[in-house]
Amino acid sequence: MTNLLERLTAWWHAYNVYVALVLVAVGLYLLLPRRRSWGRAAGAVTSVIGMGLLAARSPAFAGFFQQGVFWSLAAVTISAAAATVTFRNPVYCAIWFALALLGTAALFFYQGAQFLGVATVVVYAGAILVTFLFVLMLANPKGQAYYDRISWEAWLAAPAAAVLLGVMTVALARGLPAIDPAVPAGSPDFPVPAVSVARAMSQPRVEEILATDHMAHLGGQLFSRYLLAIEIAGTLLLVALVGAVAIVVHEQRSRATVDAAHPTAGHALTPAALAAGRTQHDSQFAGAGANIHE
Amino acid sequence: MQTNDPSITWVEEPRLGLAGKMYLPLIVQGLTTTARHLVSKKVTVSFPEERPQIGNPLIYRGVHRLNKDEQGRVKCVACFLCATACPAHCIDIIGIESPWPDREKYPESFTIDELRCIFCGMCEEACPVDAIELTSLFDLTGRSREEMIFDKEKLLSVYDQTKDAEPTQTAQLAAEAPALPPSSGGAS
Amino acid sequence: MQHSMTYIAVEALVKIALLAFIMMTAAAYLVLLERWVAAWVQDRRGPNRVGVPLTKIKLFGLGQPLADGLKFIFKEEFTPKHVDRWLYTLAPLSILAAALASFAVIPMGSSLPPIHIPALGLETDRIELVEAPSLDVGLVYVFALSSMAVYGVILGGWASNNKYSLLGGLRSSAQLIAYEIPLGLGILGVVLASGSLRLETICTDQATSGVWNIVWQPLGFLVFFVAALAESARLPFDLPECEQELIGGYHTEYAGMRLLLYLVAEFLHMVVAAFLIVILYFGGWHLWGLTGSESDPGWGHALARVAVLSLKTLAVIVLVMLVRWSWPRFRFDQLMTLAWKVMLPLGLVNLVLVAVLYEPELGGRMVAEYGAWTRAALGWGVMLAACAVAALTAPLATDNRPRLDWGVR
Repeated sequence: MTNLLERLTAWWHAYNVYVALVLVAVGLYLLLPRRRSWGRAAGAVTSVIGMGLLAARSPAFAGFFQQGVFWSLAAVTISAAAATVTFRNPVYCAIWFALALLGTAALFFYQGAQFLGVATVVVYAGAILVTFLFVLMLANPKGQAYYDRISWEAWLAAPAAAVLLGVMTVALARGLPAIDPAVPAGSPDFPVPAVSVARAMSQPRVEEILATDHMAHLGGQLFSRYLLAIEIAGTLLLVALVGAVAIVVHEQRSRATVDAAHPTAGHALTPAALAAGRTQHDSQFAGAGANIHE
Repeated sequence: MQTNDPSITWVEEPRLGLAGKMYLPLIVQGLTTTARHLVSKKVTVSFPEERPQIGNPLIYRGVHRLNKDEQGRVKCVACFLCATACPAHCIDIIGIESPWPDREKYPESFTIDELRCIFCGMCEEACPVDAIELTSLFDLTGRSREEMIFDKEKLLSVYDQTKDAEPTQTAQLAAEAPALPPSSGGAS
Repeated sequence: MQHSMTYIAVEALVKIALLAFIMMTAAAYLVLLERWVAAWVQDRRGPNRVGVPLTKIKLFGLGQPLADGLKFIFKEEFTPKHVDRWLYTLAPLSILAAALASFAVIPMGSSLPPIHIPALGLETDRIELVEAPSLDVGLVYVFALSSMAVYGVILGGWASNNKYSLLGGLRSSAQLIAYEIPLGLGILGVVLASGSLRLETICTDQATSGVWNIVWQPLGFLVFFVAALAESARLPFDLPECEQELIGGYHTEYAGMRLLLYLVAEFLHMVVAAFLIVILYFGGWHLWGLTGSESDPGWGHALARVAVLSLKTLAVIVLVMLVRWSWPRFRFDQLMTLAWKVMLPLGLVNLVLVAVLYEPELGGRMVAEYGAWTRAALGWGVMLAACAVAALTAPLATDNRPRLDWGVR
């Protein structure tokens, strides 16, 4: 392999404890309440990095690089998910939700499930969350809207979440008994968790999943074995779309009758006209070609 | 205003044919126009290296000058007509008794605040003896406000600088109509 | 060959650093190019004064990006009182991150031969000219990131707490969501043809067959090009930030470095779109007789491929800049009409066409009997027919006559 890289790696292995100590010292200095304190945030970061490097030397954290990526991704995902439900400002909730989904996608990537990772971003973080933001903007997030800033049915939600978590833990503990702790920590191409989970399944399945052409395989499965599920899901979305259009058309019809009954009042500031204006605005999102410059 | 307001006159846009509705020919047409301009001759003048061509320097309204007569004296008779005509009040004249027999007064000082001037040319129109004129010098710059207040010497030096390129109106008239006696030149 | 983790990490880091540097520089110089093209189209000369700093060397104005960058950096980092500070800072960062991350799957050529420099102790494998060569879902990944870019826009619009910003953000998200569908349909035709979501494979396919996708999928190109313009919010689709209506749109309240991040991200979006157009429809790095089509080229072919790809991309970018000065911007309803009533059906037609051409019983037999040119003929014929049908049936999207039926229906 590369001489330069080898030299660098050797240097790092020999001296990283000193680097870590220097980092901790600098960080601690920045953190201490001196006469004129500055750079305390930087100090916190530096000392955490230094301590992390020191901790990585302990045998309990063997394979720290591989494990560390997983654990930090998991930590980000879970804390973002927690922040999603605990923040008061709905817009912040949405952003934390996006971060949780990004973390999930990253975990999928880390397991070698590229399509799932990307699809998570496309479907959730992309489409659904943008729609979500639309709703939030109409929901008066910063004003006096008390109803938007509290958690409804908290006494139902918390136990439900606990039960769900328990069920998932038990299911995972029972479902993955074959993970062998003696498996050597990861081949260079695929990080540890992917290999260990994959080992829980039969060997041909592993090769099938980790093959470079797994997109084609996935597509084949989706459109043969899971065709019915796909079609049902598609139909469901189509029904929702038709329903949205039907609502818009219905409102426009009723507005037309109102206009016909009161031809002169059609454009005064009557509730009917206001409703009509709102309909126009909505219909633009349904692609019905209305006017935004009202 | 509502779209069904009776006071609105609806003007119909010309309808496009099939080719226009298909966009493609129009897209090609538009891109061709843009591409033609991309390579066409540029109209920008790279100023300090390249001087712009002023269409007719004689009617251009740039920096002022104070004309001199044949004997090298300032032509101005301190009549204050220009200062009165000036809408920006940027001309300041102090007239004293003239040492010469052909006029009663002449300007002891004649200052123009070029920063206040709006270059309307009223002073030129008002002058009965063609003493003040606007030249075609346009790059009028200075490093201070004081520098931009032009006194009599400065205005006379502008005349020396431009008299060859832009003859005075009197000289032009003399050149065009040699039959006229020189004394009637200023009355035009 | 098996590699240590360090080798993989260092290779990736070097690629990322190089690419980020190249792309940021390219964005700066594209701003200059944009100003030049704008000037030339308007019969002006454009910026040509700034050259080497502190000297009198002008260099046709090539120092202008440096001056522009310095101007942005030295501007006051002003944060208005009324904004939501966290999201206000986060928004430009997120949009730039999304734009830069898109380049991870875009091949910048095919691959370089192994580099061996004994003096430095440097010895490498073949270097794939893409950051993430093992990523199998390249196109979907780009797609996902382009939907992440909406966040930067809508967050910026919302956090600015300004009606123009909010309107710009809303418009932008509606526009991006609407045009993702034609964008996807434009991609699908190509994906169906080469059977892969990897951009390298799509390139290699066109290189080995020697027939670029534009030759027989002109309709797909049309749909994809229009959708890509709309996705990168270029004129005539720049409604999110149209000056006449919304001041600056979602970045009205931004100044200094944060505005710079937004502007760079916009240019990077355009660069990504140009790369995709070239790779999907114009053969990527392939040029007949110049680049060869072997899978592991020598230095000559490898560098020629990088050059060809860059020049093609530059040409597409210049075309996009010309488009900017050729047409006025759409009205919002026209934008939506174009997406849903024109581009969506055209994209579907293209998808069906490609599927039919790849069906062995129909397209396969036809190509076998009459030759490969029938594919191209059919492609162009279907495009003209589909455009004609769209023109005859769909309401004209660019009809500027006032709509009387809005008032009374």
